[in-house]
Amino acid sequence: MNINELKILVCDDSLLARKRLKDCIISFGCSSIFEAANGEEAIAQYNDNKPNLVFMDIVMPKKDGIEALKDILEIDSDATVIMASSVGTQSYLKDAIKAGASDFIQKPIDNDRVKEIINSYCSREEEDI
Amino acid sequence: MFTQFFGNYLLNQKLITPKQLIDAIQQKQETRMKIGVLAINAGYMTASQVERIHELQSKIDKGLGDIAVELGYMTAKQLSTLLDAQPVGYLLLGQTIVDKGYMTNSQFESAINSYKEKYSLSDEDITNIENSKSEKLIASLFNFSNTSNPLLYKGFVSLLIKNFVRFVGDDFTPLEPEFSVQAVSYKTSSQNINGEFSALTHIFAEEKELIQFACRYSGENITELDEYVEASCQDFINLHNGLFTVNVSNNQQIELTLAPPTPLSDLSPNQVQGSLILPFQFPFGIIRFAISI
Repeated sequence: MNINELKILVCDDSLLARKRLKDCIISFGCSSIFEAANGEEAIAQYNDNKPNLVFMDIVMPKKDGIEALKDILEIDSDATVIMASSVGTQSYLKDAIKAGASDFIQKPIDNDRVKEIINSYCSREEEDI
Repeated sequence: MFTQFFGNYLLNQKLITPKQLIDAIQQKQETRMKIGVLAINAGYMTASQVERIHELQSKIDKGLGDIAVELGYMTAKQLSTLLDAQPVGYLLLGQTIVDKGYMTNSQFESAINSYKEKYSLSDEDITNIENSKSEKLIASLFNFSNTSNPLLYKGFVSLLIKNFVRFVGDDFTPLEPEFSVQAVSYKTSSQNINGEFSALTHIFAEEKELIQFACRYSGENITELDEYVEASCQDFINLHNGLFTVNVSNNQQIELTLAPPTPLSDLSPNQVQGSLILPFQFPFGIIRFAISI
């Protein structure tokens, strides 16, 4: 799959964190990016847009990232959700993995890590085809 | 880290006034580009990349290191290695203070020597302060043994200083800690840390200073108290507390959770009554961070 065909959902309650991640993803050539500011919005956006990849913060108001992750996997068990959070503590990591997260990025986000994740998703999809 | 503490020492010893220090810090900024030389030295960047950033800096008011990280020329980790290892900072500060006539060369030399002696710092320590030494400097800021949990407070403050250097800029001096606030015009965002122990943290400052802080933190050109200012405060406090909980989880096997940071609101003095309040003097003003565990 080509990077420019990807649909990506960025879910973070911080406007700034969303902008940074969005700018980073755009710089890799992807332009279909959707945003959500809390877990509830993330689920609605997932239903509406069926993104290929989801970047999900953990600490958020209304519904936190782990809860939203569980709900998204219930909607689509094949969903690829990457947790991107500042709270990479052992228990949060364990919760995220147990809930079915595909990967974890510790904030502050390293652009190279994001690129690596997107590239590996694209090449994996290619193999499947 | 050395420059920040050396500034604090000069103030404490009454060798310079706060106004003179701010003035010197502001002047020192003009020579911040030397990070470029260090980055080339370390093999992190090419001379042409440094050139390109110099051009960009005529349009963007940001440090070379920050732009380099944004452009992907350097990783944030490499930048922080350069900043941590940077001996230039204190030399530039000293040079600026002497140039401005606030101290003579020999006064500066003797201040530096007595500082090194007091904290048993060798020349090597100054060029590359290891953790144990910087902890000693942090301990000199404040007597943590009077707090409910000295280890946690010290860890929190030490990380906070590093995060200010890394995400806001190295041109600050930590001032004497405070335990209450007088002014009533501060804006704040706060965040609760919960778990085996609970803590309440606040970041606060006057409106105009928060705007400047947000300009630096977000890299956006912000002129009024808008959503970017709020997002910057929330993002910084969340990022710092997140990293703190990771450290506590890794080093002490204590698991903590974070509540979402609150929107900006007016600070009432009783919110931070009894907290340890750390003022960070930047050229644009003071940003305060409060913690109570």
